[in-house]
Parts: sequence; structure tokens; C-alpha cells
Amino acid sequence: MLERILITGAGGQGVILLGRLLASSAVEHIPHITFFPSYGAEVRGGTSVCQVILSAKEIASPLSETFDSILVMNQISLENVIRQMKKNCLVLVNSSLCKIPPVSSKVVSVDATRLADNLGDTRVANFIMLGAYLAAKPVVTPLQAEKSIRELLAGKNMSLIELNIKAFRTGLES
Amino acid sequence: MATRVLMTGNDAIGEAAIRAGCDAYYGYPITPQNEITAFMALHMPENNRVFIQAESEISAINMVFGTAAAGKRAMTSSSSPGISLKQEGISFLAGAELPAVIVNVQRGGPGLGNIAPSQSDYFQATKGGGHGDYHQIVLAPDSVQEMHDLTILAFKLAGKYRTPVMILTDGRLGQMMEPLILYKGTPPPMQRKAWAVNGAINRKPNFIRSLYLVEGELETLNIKLQKKYAGIRQKEIRCEKRLTQDCEVLLVAYGTSARIAKGAIASVRAAGIRAGLLRPITLWPFPYDAIARIAKHVKGVLVVEMSSGQMLEDVKLAVNGHVPVFFEGRMGGGVPLESSIVKKIKSISRRKIMTGH
Amino acid sequence: MIKDMIYDRPESLTDVKTHYCPGCGHGIVHTLIAETIDSLKIRERTIGVAPVGCSVLAYFYMNFDVTEAAHGRTPSVATGIKRVLPDRIVFSYQGDGDLAAIGMAETIHTANRGENITVVFINNAVYGMTGGQMAPTSLIGQKTATSPRGRNVETMGPPLRMCELLNSLDKPYHIERVAIDGPDGVRKARKALMTAFKAQVDGKGYSFVEILSPCPIYQRLSPVDALKFVGTQMAAYFPVGVFRKEGTVVNA
Repeated sequence: MLERILITGAGGQGVILLGRLLASSAVEHIPHITFFPSYGAEVRGGTSVCQVILSAKEIASPLSETFDSILVMNQISLENVIRQMKKNCLVLVNSSLCKIPPVSSKVVSVDATRLADNLGDTRVANFIMLGAYLAAKPVVTPLQAEKSIRELLAGKNMSLIELNIKAFRTGLES
Repeated sequence: MATRVLMTGNDAIGEAAIRAGCDAYYGYPITPQNEITAFMALHMPENNRVFIQAESEISAINMVFGTAAAGKRAMTSSSSPGISLKQEGISFLAGAELPAVIVNVQRGGPGLGNIAPSQSDYFQATKGGGHGDYHQIVLAPDSVQEMHDLTILAFKLAGKYRTPVMILTDGRLGQMMEPLILYKGTPPPMQRKAWAVNGAINRKPNFIRSLYLVEGELETLNIKLQKKYAGIRQKEIRCEKRLTQDCEVLLVAYGTSARIAKGAIASVRAAGIRAGLLRPITLWPFPYDAIARIAKHVKGVLVVEMSSGQMLEDVKLAVNGHVPVFFEGRMGGGVPLESSIVKKIKSISRRKIMTGH
Repeated sequence: MIKDMIYDRPESLTDVKTHYCPGCGHGIVHTLIAETIDSLKIRERTIGVAPVGCSVLAYFYMNFDVTEAAHGRTPSVATGIKRVLPDRIVFSYQGDGDLAAIGMAETIHTANRGENITVVFINNAVYGMTGGQMAPTSLIGQKTATSPRGRNVETMGPPLRMCELLNSLDKPYHIERVAIDGPDGVRKARKALMTAFKAQVDGKGYSFVEILSPCPIYQRLSPVDALKFVGTQMAAYFPVGVFRKEGTVVNA
């Protein structure tokens, strides 16, 4: 198996956390995993990008030039990666903040930010995207993902962990 | 299978240092190694170890000198411009024969350069860097697992030979996450520290020095150092050989470049081209003989680096004109593309071998 | 009744001939440090850090552990020792070039962290080992190899007063300046060193003793006149006294 995922959005939308979570969910059963973040010079408000590669074989470079899946959280980021949206690529778009791109990829639209707002916290849109992605491509099981969410947020208060789990499940069912 | 954890390369180095028994870490902020300093700030005090954010890279390496002189394990980390500032201190460590671990998470240069990954500090790391006739052991990991394992080894070698050891890596390996298995052993043993300045109780005072003004004294020290280096050359050369038994094109690359070279080899092998890789794990001492042996039966050698061709010079020394040596490199934070490496391999494999002579 | 007194060489001082020039202050200060260490009974747990400068060879005279340090990095090396061996007594011994020029950052930051070490600062207003160049503490108008027409404030700035500078920091526990221009000054220097080392033994924190000291060769004076230069001209610019006592500013 080989799954190369590009995740991008605005700084502060939890793009890096989303990528890290996906990578750590796969640690137990996918032999080769890389996660690579890159940021703009701004700490907040710039574009945030990360790549996750899940593979049965050794990974030469943590940065790929082609992708099997692309997750996009806002319009500016979408425009940056629109050329990467090839035919065999699955594209998940946060339709609350993005227009649906006219590409040949299979596009799944997720109303992530609005759904997050409905849950009471706009910041959990990233885990709604994760849920929607795993619903479309079950590279890891929902159980593994939820375990990773709990591990990653260990030490935070219970209501925050439950909110994130709820967001993930909302995405999974959307 | 042992439990794997997901970590950045930089964190994996920090975690390894703690598991290797590092008594004190001294750092100063510079991208792309800041994760190490932050990791140590959090975890060294938890383990009752010393952490100081020094006022400069210069101060940090000299704090390392003090801790090493006291007979304890010390580490510092930085990135290219900061490592330049540490060179005087590294020369002093070598001259005073003190063990220390220095991590260079390389970025693009020269000057302030950029924060992209690079391998352009190869000359500085392997040929001296500071003043005087000295060497440091240089270890070059190519995965997060090796960032961890080679840090353990670095402490072991530093203690064994009383010499500075550098982990030479780059921003990509530092910032990327991969699963790894953590070191579970005990800290590597240190030599008896009869030389340390830790209080002259029931013994004559110890002096740690690198100034030798009496005629001949300094040459004697240098002869001793060179003997030590000869021993290190004999015992500590490490490299990974992949598909070199039958290869007609030999790639030589380390660190991030080696990983991309591995990708290129897998892709040309699928097309029936016999390419292999020799990946130096110790950049000093350098695996000259291993390269020379393989070079005897290949059409050509291809060196891949994120520099203008620094390790290239050592590979040419090893090959010694037996076969042509080619180069694929990027500079200033650029990373070689798998596709361009593949192209070069293909063109070398089409070469007619000259026979006779 | 006058009791018979036998003046012995302190145990902390080795029995060797000096390499310092006639009239140099280093020998006096070495002896004072050795006496202090002896009387505090800390010889076996004292570690000295020698600078780059004339006193780079200080270990030659000191009968306890000593390490060299790169030029100006003496307090960082001392920090690196003290932090991993907190029960040892660690002091740095530095000249004016080492401490106030190339090592200024280390000096300030070590003091600002309040490292529990003792810094002994020999201020003789000139670089000795390299051949009498201008020091950060050379007096205005002082002629040196690199200020042949005298130190010019306009282009070279005025001399740095280190005690005053360090006294602006919160953490130092003891800051004092003395001048070894005669027997009285030497007695005061001994007392200052005792206070400083005692502070470290008691875990009180950073202590700093500046000692105005003669260098007849590069102060370009006879040994006797060099002592006068220290006691009058140097002391006029660098007032002697206690600046910080038990953590409190006494002479702002």
C-alpha cells in the first residue's frame, strides 16, 4: 500500500495536528510512515502545509511530488495546490471556506468549519476533515484514530477530548 | 515487534541524549534545530539533568567544555551558522581531549542562508572546521531511527576516545516524523575519569589544557592525537551497502540524499538497471576502502549531495581514477529530485566499459 | 608579647619559580587565593578556570584542579563545571581583555544567572601576554602598543567599569573592587577574596572581586611607580570599595 496525503490550510486551522494525528494512528500497523510539516514565516495566518506518507515499502523522501489524497482547509491554500489535483487523486475540501475546484479529481466536499461551529468550537474543523477522509479512505480504523486523539490530547481536560472525538465522528458520518 | 513511537528527528536526538546519560545540555535558538533545545528544556530538568539556554552558541560550546572537563557527559546542538561559531570550542575540546556531542542540523548557506535542509557543512565537519590538526568523529543518520541510534553511539564513541563527536544531519531529517524504537539499554560506559577536574581528593591535581609552550610538547600532543585518529580510522568506519554486489552503477550518498538515492535505485532496478548504494554512516572516518573495492567492478560512480560537491572529493580520492565519478547535487537548500538521479544513473549505465590497462 | 610567627607557603600553592615579570600582581593574587582556599579547607574540592592571557599558566602555581578555557569563555566553562558538580568550589581567574572585551557577554550573562561561582578579575589596564595592547580598562590617555598616542575617548571610548556595570544586575551576591598597591590593599584583597569564596561555600551565589593590579612592563613604569599608578590613577577612575554586599547594592 502507498498513500501520499497533502494537507493544507491557514495557520491556526490545525493542519499540522491533523497530519500528526493521521501519522500516529498508523504507527501500529503500517510499516513505513513519514510526516513532514512546512510553514510560512508567519506564526499565525500564513499558509500551513504538511505531508503524510503511509507505505508498505521504504519511503525515500518525506516530500512527494504527486498525491493520492489532498485535504484543503481554506481557499488560498486550495489555489496553491490546485495543480496537484490529478485524476486519481481524492480531494477533500472544507466547503465552508472553499469553492469546489474544477478539477478531474474525485472531490468530496465537507462543510467542516460550519459543522465545527455547530459543535461549539470552530477549531475542531480539522478533526471533522480527518473523519471525512477516513470515511472515504479507511487507511486506519476509526478506533485507531480515536485512540490517537486521546493520546495526543492526554492531559487536556476531558470535555476538550470528548469534543474532538465528537468532531471526528461527525466527520466520519458526514 | 517492539513498540514504535512517532517522533521528529530532532526530538529523537534529544530523547536519545537523555537515554545515553547526557548530564548537561547547552543550547541557543536557531532554526531548524529549535525542537532539540525545546525538548531538552522540558525533559532534562525532569530527569534531574542540567539545561541552560546560553547567551550564544559560543558560550554553549564552552559550557560543554566545562562539563566535559568535569568528567560528565555534555551535548550542544545548533545549525550551520551557529556551528561555525562553535568551531573554536570544538578545536579546544579536541586539543584538551574531552568527550562531547555536537549536533549540526544543517541549513542552507553560506552566510545566514536559509532554513531549508542542506549538506554544505561537510568540509567544515570532516576536514577540521576549527584550527589545528584535529578530527572529530562525524556521524550521518538517514532516518529518524538513526537520529536516535547514532546519538547513543555518539556518546559511546565520545567517551571511548575522549573526542568530540558530531551528528551531521539536516533540517529535513530534523523536522520530519517517523516511527522509531527507543533505546532501552543503559547509558554507554565512560572511561575512568582519572583526568577530570572534579576535585583533587587523594590525588595530585589535574590540569586540562591545550596550550603547550615548551618546545616539542605540542608536537608530542599532536603525535598522540594522530595515533588516536589512526585507531579510530581502523575501528570505527561504518557504512551501509545496498545492492552493491552486482551493481554496474555505484551511488554514494549520505543522510537525506541517501534516502532519495535509495528511491532512485529501487526505480531503476525495476527497469533492469543494476544500481547500488554505498551510504557512509561515518563521514569521518570515511569509508575509502569500501568504496574503492566496489568501484573496481562498476561502470561509474555517482555522488549525490545537497552541496556543490564536497563529499565528492573524498569519493574521488577513494576511486582514485579507476572509473569516472559523476555528481548530482543541489545547493542553497535545494534537495535532489529522484527523477534527475534516475536520469544520471541511466546515462552512466549506458557507458561502454574500457577494458585492459 | 610577640608570638613567633612562621610564614609558610600555602598548601594550595605549588613550590615553583615564578614566570611572571618582576613587580607583576599575579603572584600576589595567586598567593592570596591559595591562602583563602587553605583557610576555608576547600583545596580538595576547588576547581580553577584559567583564562587566556598572562595567567593562562596559573595552573602551574595552583595545587588543585585547574582547567584552561578559550579566550573570554572562562565563566561559561566555570558554569559547565559548577552545574554538574554543585558541591565543588569553582572560580574563574580572568584578566581585563578576557573578562571585559572578548568575554563580556559571558561575564554579564553568568552574573545575571547568578551562577554560584567566584570570579577573580585582574584589572591592570593593559594586555600583557600579547605585548601591551590597549585593554577595555586602559585609562584615558594611556599609551599602549595599539594606542600609541594615548587612549582617545573620541575614537576608542572610555574605560569600562566592570563592578559598576555588574552592579546593575539583580542576581550578584557580592561585588567588590580592591587595589593591591601596598600592604593595606593586599590585606583588603585577601578579605575580599575570603568574603567571595565564603559566599560560594555557603551557596549564596555569584561573587565578583576586581583587583586593580600592577603590570610594570606594559604600564611602562618601574615596579614602585606601577604600584603608585594602581593606587592613584587607576583607583581614581575605578573607585575601590564594596558595591554589592549580601545581595544588596551598597554603592550605586
